[in-house]
Amino acid sequence: MNARTDDAARRLAREAAQWLALQDAGGLSAEQRDSLSRWRERSAAHEALWQKAEALRERFSQVPAPLAATCLDRPDPDRRRLLGQALAVGTLVPLGWLGYRQLPVDSWRADLRTATGERRGLTLPDGSRLQLNTASAVNLDFSLGRQQVQLVAGEIAVDSAGSLQVQTRQGLLRAGGASFCVRLGGRGCTVSVSRGQVDLQPLSGPGARVDAGQRALLGASGIGALQPFDAQLPGWQQGLLLANNQRLGELLRELRRYRPGLLRWDPALERLAVTGTFQLDDTDRILALLAASLPLVVHYRTRYWVSLTPRENTA
Amino acid sequence: MTESTAAPEPTLSALYRAHRGWLHGWLLRRLGDTWTAADLTQDTFLRVLAAQQSQTLASLREPRAYLLTVGRRLLVNHFRRRSLEHAYLEALRQLPEALAPSPEQRWVLLETLQALDELLDGLPRPVRQAFIWSQLEGLDYASIATRLRVSERTVKRYMVRAYEHCLLVAL
Repeated sequence: MNARTDDAARRLAREAAQWLALQDAGGLSAEQRDSLSRWRERSAAHEALWQKAEALRERFSQVPAPLAATCLDRPDPDRRRLLGQALAVGTLVPLGWLGYRQLPVDSWRADLRTATGERRGLTLPDGSRLQLNTASAVNLDFSLGRQQVQLVAGEIAVDSAGSLQVQTRQGLLRAGGASFCVRLGGRGCTVSVSRGQVDLQPLSGPGARVDAGQRALLGASGIGALQPFDAQLPGWQQGLLLANNQRLGELLRELRRYRPGLLRWDPALERLAVTGTFQLDDTDRILALLAASLPLVVHYRTRYWVSLTPRENTA
Repeated sequence: MTESTAAPEPTLSALYRAHRGWLHGWLLRRLGDTWTAADLTQDTFLRVLAAQQSQTLASLREPRAYLLTVGRRLLVNHFRRRSLEHAYLEALRQLPEALAPSPEQRWVLLETLQALDELLDGLPRPVRQAFIWSQLEGLDYASIATRLRVSERTVKRYMVRAYEHCLLVAL
């Protein structure tokens, strides 16, 4: 940003700020409102900035007031001391603003959703059982003789009584009486069948049938090779996470789905082998168990920011 | 730490080898905690790596000064985020159990608060307070003036300043 545009942006921000403060001070007269409309119409930049200003107010209105006020206006000696340093190194990059995380809009609008770490089961109108894994969302359509579940996010397990369809972004699954799991991932959705049969139809290309004990990746333009898996092993449906000589990195990536916040680990830990059965309901405990059985240390940088590092030999 | 570093450039790994220990030491003296210092060291190099798309490392004549600038920024951020989280968890403890948000809501809310906190960073305390009371509690300027023991005119000046600051940061 060169000095001239910087000046222009500053002037615009100041003008907008004056309007905002005037509004807050007790509302605008009819004349002032007209004047503000004319200000906004002066250029696309004016209007864009005004929209930004309204978005700013909107953000403050989204947080519970007493709680937010307590946190944002906290007395804090650390802060005092550090402020000087912060200013000395220039304006802070507003990463939090840019990187503000929101769940996809789709999953908020869905009929049913689970939060991170939550699991939920229900019986559908036709008697089928549906379970939602962590951070998952579905829409249900059981009107006019249709029996369809649309998987919007995450993972579900279905135990169908009669014929039932599951729709995903990649295609359609049809099942008679069958038990199966569907998990949305970056490369498509993985379908694992433990009882009966499920027919997969990608958006384009030929379909395929998956039998009990098989697993397949459904992509929008095709189906991957069928792979065998052990359908008898318990899994998230029973609240369990199983590791059988698994790489720690893999296990932690899985665990991360169930934990709000950040979970990071030193790359040196990636290939440690883990075997065990873990209870998904208490992920802090899982981390403690890992620390007890592997040469690693769990470090809570904050409540929501956990790092795992190799344990140093102090002997 | 994880999710990191698909094949770092040779120059970056050289930079990393040459200065990691030194940066870690510098951060450790300020944090008193070797793990967090290691985390922030890692973050600093990742940040440098991300910024290298526009400028090459070879052109850095003073890599330590650059690393220090980035590292100090992350350190200040870390302290701010940590103190906000303490205040947040403390405030949550005061809530009646029935009103307590779910773990996920807590996290989303904390993220939002962190973003707002970052936005307000750098404003003097009274300006910040005036803005928070106006936005969050809906206080009018007269009430804010009474609380801060300043004139309404001054409150308005504070508000203009806070709005301007937020708009510029958010640009």
